[in-house]
Amino acid sequence: MALDDIYDSILGFDAERTAELVRAELAAGTEVRAILDEALIAAMDEVGVQFSEGVLFVPEMLMAAMAMKGGLEILRPHLSASEAKPAGVVVIGTVKGDMHDIGKSLVGMMLEGSGFQVIDLGIDVPAERFLAAAEAHQADIVGLSALLTTTMPAMQATVTRLRERNAGPRIIVGGAPVNQDFAERIGADGYGEDAPGAVALARRLVADR
Amino acid sequence: MHAPKVSFLPPDKIAVMRGKVLELLEQRGVQMEHPEVTRRLAKAGAAVDGDTSNVRFPAAFMEEVLARAPKRVELFGRDGAGRLEIPRPEGGFLLRTGTGAHGYLDPETGSYRKVTAVDAAAWARLADGLAEVDFCAFPFIDGVPVPSADLHGLMAVLGNTGKHAWIQPYTAESIEYLLNLAAAAAGGEQALRDSPRVSIVATALTPLSVKFIDLEVIRLASRFGVPVHACSLPSAAGTAPITMPATVLMAAAEILALLAAAQVMEPAVPVIATPLVFALDMRTGRGLQSSVEAMQGAAAAVQLMKQGFGLPTHTYGSGTDSPVADGQSMAERALLGLLTGLARADILGGAGQLEVATAISPVQLCIDDELAAMTRRLLRGLEVDEDTLAWDELSAVDPGGHFLATQHTLRHCREGFLPKLFTRLPRDAWETKGEGDLTARAHERCRALLSEPAPEPLPEDTRKEMAAIVAAADRRLAGTG
Repeated sequence: MALDDIYDSILGFDAERTAELVRAELAAGTEVRAILDEALIAAMDEVGVQFSEGVLFVPEMLMAAMAMKGGLEILRPHLSASEAKPAGVVVIGTVKGDMHDIGKSLVGMMLEGSGFQVIDLGIDVPAERFLAAAEAHQADIVGLSALLTTTMPAMQATVTRLRERNAGPRIIVGGAPVNQDFAERIGADGYGEDAPGAVALARRLVADR
Repeated sequence: MHAPKVSFLPPDKIAVMRGKVLELLEQRGVQMEHPEVTRRLAKAGAAVDGDTSNVRFPAAFMEEVLARAPKRVELFGRDGAGRLEIPRPEGGFLLRTGTGAHGYLDPETGSYRKVTAVDAAAWARLADGLAEVDFCAFPFIDGVPVPSADLHGLMAVLGNTGKHAWIQPYTAESIEYLLNLAAAAAGGEQALRDSPRVSIVATALTPLSVKFIDLEVIRLASRFGVPVHACSLPSAAGTAPITMPATVLMAAAEILALLAAAQVMEPAVPVIATPLVFALDMRTGRGLQSSVEAMQGAAAAVQLMKQGFGLPTHTYGSGTDSPVADGQSMAERALLGLLTGLARADILGGAGQLEVATAISPVQLCIDDELAAMTRRLLRGLEVDEDTLAWDELSAVDPGGHFLATQHTLRHCREGFLPKLFTRLPRDAWETKGEGDLTARAHERCRALLSEPAPEPLPEDTRKEMAAIVAAADRRLAGTG
């Protein structure tokens, strides 16, 4: 079945083939929602599971996410307003003073691959920019990343600043020096151990809202 | 004496990589975000793009930089004492403690917590008492104002050890305070310049850029005459290509860009090439310092910087990816130390550190002291001559005889390495003695060292001056104090 082929192309990290197959399915009149749910999102769910189990490696997960995203872009003009509505809006960035990009980008790609709209603010992001972006995009979630132990306090300061808004977004944190205990102490809503963990967490938090 | 070495790069590959490093610097260049430094680089002959701050270094320019670069470095401890010269007279290495860790494994309880100011002082005192540790870096102290936390760290080191101190600044604003603090401890800027009591690290942001803070380190280190550890921290497969030769090549290019920056600011300031090579775990994306690949990268990077470019070198020679001071930790740091030692690095860093440099353990530091002593002895190699070949003894021995009671054995019997912490007891004797395993014995040593009288405090005026600098930093950088 062709939807299985799309699914397989994502798990085979073959972005070109994914795009080609998605176009073919659209041309054949397959229901857009089915392509999205049964092929693209289903494949990324499996990618997340396989990554967490250690079957897939990081570059494979990334290439799969890129293939999925490519397919989604082709699908997007055909989605109805409600179908096109993302699973949630996530503003992410690496906190002020920290120039590390990779972990945060990984999480961003996995979130996009799982149907979230991601606004990536990049690195060295001051608390004010997180706040402004969260408001401008009506974010459901703000994701903060830090790799340096020396920038963990900046993460705390950002959480504090975001919390000053009563109806603020949920806040998730991650990065090498961060752990569950730290997340709780600084008042974040959750800690993602790895990229799929961040996706699961984001889904849970959005469902709880 | 023949000095044993490891070689990951044969001479022809070193030549190829050297050429590629210069080509990368000439064609791709390095982004450098510091107007004053880039202006000087442009004046000296580098091609600076005003819009992107990308700096390209013509090969001839870089060859001149390399030819002028100081090949010898002298570091000092308190009051101009404890001179450390690089290269080492016997070809060995200097040992540095881990820097910037935020986690602390309490030697008494074994529990994990954030580093306190008291811990940092104990850490420096321990480094002071351990014979094999040559210089001391500071951890990230919790419970002090964050914007001036590095000042508190340096204060702990300068006040608790007479050994050379390494500075890792946390912000551009704190660098001048840190160097002023070092000058105060040294007895003035001239004294600091004459016998640098501290050295400081400037780190490239891989791939191929250097942020303002790190070029500001170079600018101010030049002004104060303080040696610079020009550092690249590539993560293979992340901020660097996955294949280690490419990671090493890129690290070398970044280090040379930092060297060029230092030269245009002050040609006499010594620069120590400091590749700290990481490799990402492809299953998780986590950066590792003691994986097999990272170890190979460290050894190869040292070889390239030393043999390809003739620069003094500094890399991790200790540390583990394990969060605890367990068997893995001991195995990884022993492998890494021996490998980078045999690659002939001039400085081995990371003593006492765990969990990819994010935690420190005093007990581990005591064990690392012993490992360093063993590694140093191993690196000395073997003398092969008439005496060590013991020809007369071999010729004279009776079948079934022994060598225990010969003059030759008597003459040499005190030359072997004798460990302080490693046991050589058989089970019965070991149980009777009840001194526990290596960790338990290292813990005892740690206790004993920390119960010794503290090093002589700095003169009261000096301490006051230093405290005033830290207080000023607290006030101006952190708005507290």
